[in-house]
This record gives sequence, structure tokens and C-alpha cells, in this order.
Amino acid sequence: MFLSAWSLSLVLCSIVVLFLIANAARTGVRVLRYWNQASDSNLQISLENETWLASTLIEFALAVQGLSLLLFILAADSYSQVIAGAMCATGSLLANEFGLPTLYLKLAGFFLYGFWILLHQIDIRSEVYPLVRIKYLYLLLLIPFILADIIFQTLYIANLDPDIITSCCAVVFSDAAGEGGNLLGSLPQTIMLWLYYGTIAVLLGLALLMNNRIPRLKLSGKRVQSSLSFLYATGWLWFFGLALAVITSVISSYIYAMPFHRCPFCIIKPEYSYIGLAIYCTLICGTFFGISTALTEVLGRRSDLVTPVRHYRKIAVDMSLILLTILAVLSSYHYLLYMITGGEN
Amino acid sequence: MSPAFEKHLNLLDYALSSLWRRKMKNLGIITVFAGVIFLVASFQILTSSLTSIAETMLAKTPEIVVQKMSAGRQESIPLSYLNRLDGVFGIRAAVPRIWGYYFDETSGANYTVMGVERNAMPEGQRLEMVIDGSYPDAEPGGAALGREVAANMNLAGRRTFSLFRPDLSLKTLRITGIFAESTNLLTGDLLVTSLDDARDLFAIPDNLATDLLVYVTNPNEISTIAKKIAARLPDTRVLTRPQILKTYKVVFGWRSGFASICLLAALAAFAILAWDKASGLSVEEKREIGILKVLGWQTTDILTLRYWESLTVAGLAFLIGCTAAYFHVLFLEGSLFRPVLLGWSVIHPSLKILPVFAAGDVLLIFTLSVLPYLAATVIPAWRCSTISPDAAVK
Repeated sequence: MFLSAWSLSLVLCSIVVLFLIANAARTGVRVLRYWNQASDSNLQISLENETWLASTLIEFALAVQGLSLLLFILAADSYSQVIAGAMCATGSLLANEFGLPTLYLKLAGFFLYGFWILLHQIDIRSEVYPLVRIKYLYLLLLIPFILADIIFQTLYIANLDPDIITSCCAVVFSDAAGEGGNLLGSLPQTIMLWLYYGTIAVLLGLALLMNNRIPRLKLSGKRVQSSLSFLYATGWLWFFGLALAVITSVISSYIYAMPFHRCPFCIIKPEYSYIGLAIYCTLICGTFFGISTALTEVLGRRSDLVTPVRHYRKIAVDMSLILLTILAVLSSYHYLLYMITGGEN
Repeated sequence: MSPAFEKHLNLLDYALSSLWRRKMKNLGIITVFAGVIFLVASFQILTSSLTSIAETMLAKTPEIVVQKMSAGRQESIPLSYLNRLDGVFGIRAAVPRIWGYYFDETSGANYTVMGVERNAMPEGQRLEMVIDGSYPDAEPGGAALGREVAANMNLAGRRTFSLFRPDLSLKTLRITGIFAESTNLLTGDLLVTSLDDARDLFAIPDNLATDLLVYVTNPNEISTIAKKIAARLPDTRVLTRPQILKTYKVVFGWRSGFASICLLAALAAFAILAWDKASGLSVEEKREIGILKVLGWQTTDILTLRYWESLTVAGLAFLIGCTAAYFHVLFLEGSLFRPVLLGWSVIHPSLKILPVFAAGDVLLIFTLSVLPYLAATVIPAWRCSTISPDAAVK
């Protein structure tokens, strides 16, 4: 189903990304072969110039690739209007075997691409660019991943057939149409909510502790801080999976005010005031900042990167703290509204 | 204010002044770019608007329409088929309908003539509310006309008119009412009579109708009931409302996708133009970059400057293009592209199109237009920012 404006824009994004990344990869290979910080040969000087272009190209391409995650979900939602039996993005993603893998690839990609940009930003804040080789090695390793993303996406669109029947997220319909409806079945609500809010409380506490914002409890030991970072990153990783499950199986049905509609995608629609978009943005960005504290901990062991890393870590912890608070408010709003006022009037 | 933010503000300031210095060149780019965005956005907004019109139109239609098929073509359906639907649970009502097209030779237009048993329809009584006058089933020979039909017939105050039966004998009808202006989209080309009058006009035998309308109580059961009907009446085609809506969306989506592919050519041409404009540096521009470098600007500063310039140009063109497209759909009803999406005919109901513009559409138009432009200007921007200062100032 390439003849749709959404498919076209996804394909166009892929072409733009391929074009930019191919250009940058050429520089990447040259850097890996010839880069010599100490040299002042013509080759080294032209390489230094080229790395500016390459990093700009990569940053742009990776940002486009990240944007394509949002575009892909919106596209899946619009495909659901023409695929028989699909009521929303869940239905169209399940329409063939490439839908969900593409989504997971794009989601994982968002973090992997983000780490490249982070690596680059920390690198250029040091006088001697100590991470140049690592950066370009990482880039060359990312290329197969980007290709897989694009290939899966193309296969998904190519195999979409507007006539086939797919199952859908509404249980009421799937009872009539066959088994399997929601992406996730019903999970025990009380336990999930306890886990969800418990993890949020722990993460908030950790974040406050890491930036020494709790009075009379200052931790300054390097090893303590470093283990806190790893704990914090692991906590966020666990929270990311948990939050996706809780949003899908518990919170979404409060937003829809329909007990059996548990869809992670419909909440990003205008009917629900784009609240899903805000929830996912805060969750994904928060997770990125949370996890990146562990990554920077590794980088911070290099003596020439101590200052930029310390600076970044402080910002990252603060950002994840703010985003987590916003996420907690946004995701609890409809649930609390239901508990206090008894639901929609 | 943080120093980084202040730096970007200063760069933006410089970018704006540098754009202003070369205003003719940049104005040219903005105009062409806004034109391309206007085309892409018009299609997108028009498609969304027509889809939403189709949704509104179909909201109150019967849930299921049953048509008899013979040798792959539609033909009249025997009324006895109604009895075979008796045992299907969940059917609220099933009514026969006679309808067809009447070609008016004097005006060269096609009218849609329709006769239904209003009293058998669940919400039939409410039809009275949209008619200026009364519904034509009180006594034989009445007809209610759509506004466009009434205007087309040139009645000049007469209350009766005649139409030809298939054997060219005349059938006289009396106007009992005119459909309200607000329903023009649906009733513009419509001529409604009682079931018997429609049967008489088209000379359809007493035991036949054009199709059967089936009303379903629970919308969740539409597909189940449709399956049951199809099993009981194997020689029929069973159309459900959701299916029809999906078909509309497929058609609009396909046509707008096809149009977008055609527009991609324009977009590619523009990207090449942008690339060319950005890479062909004049001596003055080279000197400017050289001086900036001598003053201590880094390669990255010049790249950021170029980036701000591109973003300003793209942002302005995007705003102008999208606004123009919005007004094109709002005031001109998308007249440039409507035939591509709708098709054309002699009396086309005059559509009042309200532009539908969701946040998703903005993102879509943005990726289709601005992203390729930004990508096309990155490499030329880098080329000019790496000029060595001594070479430029010499």
C-alpha cells in the first residue's frame, strides 16, 4: 500500500536517512582508518573538517529516524481506516507479521540514535575529541540496524492489503471476530498500579539522592555515585517496560472510559486531546535521560571527559526527575478523575 | 539567560539580517517552496475534509443494503426475499426501496428518483423536518424535490410537472415540498416520491424493488447480521455501512497518494533548486565567510548559522503554503483538485467543504516538504563553511 500520503512520507524519510547516512559512513570509514589526533597532515586536517559535516548529517538523519517513530504510529492509525476489521493502529500493526517488529525496531532505535547524539555532544565538549573513533565505530554498527528498520518498514507497507480481515483492539468486536484482541491481556490491576507508583516513588527518591537534593543526606563518594547511576538506569529500564504495560492494560481504559478497550495507540488521537502523545514523549525522553546516566558513568572514567560528563549527568538526572513527575501527573489524571468523580458525566 | 541560548539568539539575529541582505534570492526560494507546500497541503486537507464529509453523510444511512445480483450485475430484488429475513435476530426493520436515475433531456442532467415506505423506516417520520412542505406519501402523485432539481426544472411557480415512463407515456407529479437548503449535499439532485409512484415511473413490476434496506438495532452486530443475510440469500450482495465508508476512504486515500507521487516530482525539482542555490556561492558570500572566520567563528558556528537560515526559509514557506491551502479549501472549496478526488458530473451537489486539519496532517506535510529541503541544504552549507579564511579574503 505505497499509494498513500503516509506511506510516501515514511519512504521519503527513509530515502533522506539513507542518503545522509551513506555520506557520513564514507567519512566514518576514513576516520577509522586514518584518524591520528597527533598528526597535522593534510589528510588529518581534511578529516577534521569532514567530521563536522558527518556529525551534522548523522544528527539530522537520526533525528529524522526518531521522528519516523511518531510518523509510523500515526500512519498505522490512518491505515486502520482502510484495512477491513482494523479499528485502530493495533489492528493495522497486526495486519501482517512485519508491523510490530518495525515498531519495536523504531522504538529501540530511538534510544540507540539518541546515545550517538549524546556521545557526540559530550565528545565535542572536550578539547581533544577523545571519542571520535568510538563514535564512528558506533555509527558503522548502527547502519545494519537502520537498514533493518527501513527494510522491515518497507516490507510492512508492501504487504499491507486493504482487504484482509485483522483482529482489533476492542474485545467486544473480537468476541465476534475470533480470538485475540488487545496487545496485552488483562493484568491484575491492583498489583500493576502498586508496582507502577512504587517504582515512580523509588526513582524519584534516587534522583533526589543523586543530585544531593535531600537535606542532611549528602552522598559524595565516587563509587557510591557510580553505583547509584547504574541502579537508576536499571530502574528506568524496568520502569519503561512496566509503564508501557500499565498504560496499555490499566491506564488506557480509564482514558477511553471503556473498560474493555485497552489500546496503547488510540490515546494519541485528537479525540483524547493528544494526551497519549504527551505521556509517551515524557516516558521515552525520561527513560532516555535515566538510562544515559549509566552510559556517561562509563565515559566519565576518562580523565579528559570528567567535566562534561559531570555536567551532563546533573542535567540528565534533573530532566528525568521533571519528566517522571509530569508523566505521573498525566497518567494518573483520568484514573483519579474516575476515582473522585465516578467517571465521565 | 544561559550562554548557549544567547549564542543561538545572536546567530538567529545574524541569520535574519543575512537573509534580508539577499532578499530577492531568498524571496524567490520562499515563493517556489510555498507553492510546492501549497499543492501538497491542499491535497492533504481536501482528502481529510472529504473523508470527514463521507463519515457525516453515512452516519444515518441504513446499516445494511441488500442487492440482488444476476450474472455479476445488479437487478431488481423480489419482495418475497423480505420474508426470508424474518428469522434473523437483531434486525430492527427491513424496507424495500425503489430508486434510479432519470435523465432529463431538456437540461441534460441526471436526477436521482427514490421511493421508500417512510412509515416502515425507524426514523422515517423525521424526514418531514427537512422538507419545506410535506412528504409526498399522503396521496398518490406527490413528489418532494431537492433544491438543485427544482432550480433545474425551471418551474416558474408551477406546482406540477411531468416525467416520461420507459414507454414514453407521461407521468404527472405534483410538488408537495422542497428539501431544506441545509441538506443540499444529500438531496441536491433528489426527487422523492411514494414507493408506488416510483414503481409506476420506472415501470417496475409489483413484486420487485431495487434493493432492500436493513436497519440493525446494535451497530456491533452489523457484520454478523450481514453474514447471516448473505447465507440466507446467496444470490445477493450485502453491503454494510462500515464497508462503504472504508471503500470511500480507500478511494480518497489512493487518489491523494497518487496525486502526492505526482507532486514528488515538483518536490524533487525544488530540492535540486535549493541545493543549487545553496552551493553556488558568490564571491561576496565567500568573502563574508572568510571575514567571519578571521573574526574567530568556528566551522560549527557557520553551520549553525546556515541551519537557522534554512529553518527560517522553510518555516516561512511552510506557514504561507499551509495557510494558502487552508483558504483554498475553505473559500474555493478546493476547486483546483476537487475533480481529481471526487470525479465530475453535470449536477454535482454543491459541497460546502469545511477544512479538516489535524496535528497529524501538519506533521505529514512537514515531512513531505520541509525535511527534504533541510536535507538538501546541509551538504552545501558545510562546503561553504569549511572554506579556509585566507583563500576567501585574498
